[in-house]
Amino acid sequence: MLSIKDLKVSVDGKPILQGVNLQIRPGEVHAIMGPNGSGKSTLAHVLTGREGYQVTGGEVRYEGEDLLGLEVEERAHKGLFLALQYPVELPGVNNMVFLREALNAIRTARGEPPLDAVQFIKLVRDKANAVNIDPELLKRSVNAGFSGGEKKRNEILQMALLEPKLAILDETDSGLDIDALRIVADGVNTLRAPHRAMIVVTHYQRLLDYIEPDYVHVLVGGRILRSGDKSLALELEEKGYGWITEEAAA
Amino acid sequence: MNAVVRLQDEARERYRELLATTAQTLPGQDLDWLTAQRAEATAAFLRQGFPTRKDEAWRYTSLDKLLQQTRVTKVAPLPALNAADVEPFRLTDNAVARLVFVNGVLCPALSHTQDIETEVEISGLRAALERTPDKIAGWLGRAAGTAPTRFAALNTALHNDGVWIYIPAGVRLVGPIEVLYLSSGTEVALALSPRNLIVLENGAHATVVEHYASYGAANCFTNSLTEVQLGEAAEMEHYRLQDEDALATHLSSLFIRQGRSSHYHGLGVSLGGTWSRTEYHNGFEQPNARCDLDGLYVAGDRQLTDFHLDIRHAMPGCTSRERFKGILLGRGRAVFDGRIRVEQDAQQTDAVLTNHNLLLSRDAEVDTKPQLEIFADDVKCAHGTTIGQLEPAQMFYLRSRGIRAEDARRMLCLGFATELLADCGVPGFRAQVERRLESRLLAEPALEME
Repeated sequence: MLSIKDLKVSVDGKPILQGVNLQIRPGEVHAIMGPNGSGKSTLAHVLTGREGYQVTGGEVRYEGEDLLGLEVEERAHKGLFLALQYPVELPGVNNMVFLREALNAIRTARGEPPLDAVQFIKLVRDKANAVNIDPELLKRSVNAGFSGGEKKRNEILQMALLEPKLAILDETDSGLDIDALRIVADGVNTLRAPHRAMIVVTHYQRLLDYIEPDYVHVLVGGRILRSGDKSLALELEEKGYGWITEEAAA
Repeated sequence: MNAVVRLQDEARERYRELLATTAQTLPGQDLDWLTAQRAEATAAFLRQGFPTRKDEAWRYTSLDKLLQQTRVTKVAPLPALNAADVEPFRLTDNAVARLVFVNGVLCPALSHTQDIETEVEISGLRAALERTPDKIAGWLGRAAGTAPTRFAALNTALHNDGVWIYIPAGVRLVGPIEVLYLSSGTEVALALSPRNLIVLENGAHATVVEHYASYGAANCFTNSLTEVQLGEAAEMEHYRLQDEDALATHLSSLFIRQGRSSHYHGLGVSLGGTWSRTEYHNGFEQPNARCDLDGLYVAGDRQLTDFHLDIRHAMPGCTSRERFKGILLGRGRAVFDGRIRVEQDAQQTDAVLTNHNLLLSRDAEVDTKPQLEIFADDVKCAHGTTIGQLEPAQMFYLRSRGIRAEDARRMLCLGFATELLADCGVPGFRAQVERRLESRLLAEPALEME
């Protein structure tokens, strides 16, 4: 589904990713862990096409296609989704309108008819229930004045509605207390499916207690230094990141 | 400089002729008080002429193009418009009265008033001056004076018709009053001077919608003047939309006077015309009144939009909130000149003025000038202005959800305007403004910023 080969990315001329390799198949959940500044968010952003990142080498193929050549919205149309670490506030843009425009843009791009208002409201209420989100959030401006937990839950609602093939969760646990974390993780777990892959980017092992990954990769200094199963996350929790860096240096 | 003086003199001579030929056709010939007002205004205008860019209030706004054209105040009657023709211009769905003017003339067949309580007056000003001049004497010119500005003087000298609204003490209208001014035609260059007079007695409540639009192409200069007089504890909502043809030039001058504990809420939206200016002159005549004044403007290629506020806090304990927002496209230009003056006796004044501008093109231009002049020492006053572009993070967020870039821009611009439209008490007005705003944003080719 996703194949990253020797990806090198700079920001303002400073190399951040220095040759990342990663293979992801449908249905898999991959965790990417690493200390601050290791390039985790850069990887998430460059996959979704955010401006300000210069790809200096390597390639990314998504379902056989050159992903990096696509516009941001084209990637979304083809099933890519990024849940942001800091969801953006859109004052004055009604959440319901935002969700409908997004869903219908994606449906139109796929050659499906857009949903009318009645169909949409029913669908969005079902989805909100499924991921345990207060429908009141739908009436407000997108993320404006939302608590940290509400913002993250709103991201999960978008994901539930847009049904991506590949979802990237960037530090979804940051800023959440344990109850909010559980709600968000439950939401993510209900969206696990054989045809859907996920990349869970996180600094802490904590999130992985709730979202169990199939693979864990450790990103340090812009390279994946180690890959393993979920037991690697537990090892990191116990020993920190230092030993991997030392092993790699040795 | 000589060219400017010559243009000014030529224009003044043309208007001298226009004033002379028009005078005999204006209503109220037999009313001494009105004749005196008109004579004084005419003299003031002919003495002062048109403003130039040397006048501080006109520094950013050139009148040259307007002054080059010879204009007339009347046009041969149009082929009659029918109800279906004016229906698309409707901004309300529960109006207690709708008055439709075509090229400055009230069209009774397209207008209606219904279930109006006795003593409430809603009619054309010309008809009222003929039938019940005593009711108007004393109100006309009270809020504005005779010649407070040069264009106001010209309006006083030339006004031919407009709307007269009188709401007696304690009366609350169940629906809005809608007034539509349609201009049409390009065979001659028209100069129209609508005069609106709105009086709310103590404790009266009313909502008024003023709409200036064009039926097809229209080469029209509208010099409108609206006087509002609010009695004690009176409440008025006042929604205005200027969406005239690209050939049109438009000037609206509003003079609003508020009594004790009254509340005025205004929203002025300016979308059309090649040149459009709105002046709000607000004054508190007694303490503890409140004024909420909002404005929204859009200017694209070949458009200049100009808002001038002159908010006078002369009485203690009054509150005013001025929120103005602009969206600039293509080579559009906007001027915002917002002045709040707090006199020495106006203690406990609470005034906040903001002006935020969104530039969607490199070639667009905004001149914004907020001014607070404070002579009292126990006041809360603040102002803030911004000129910015769409946030890249917001654009990315929308696009990452599959929304095309042009739709993302449209949604963010609507969101920018929503703060002002959310407080609009007439749903049809809000919906129409949103719809026109959307189509303007979609039609504009020069949305290149990245």
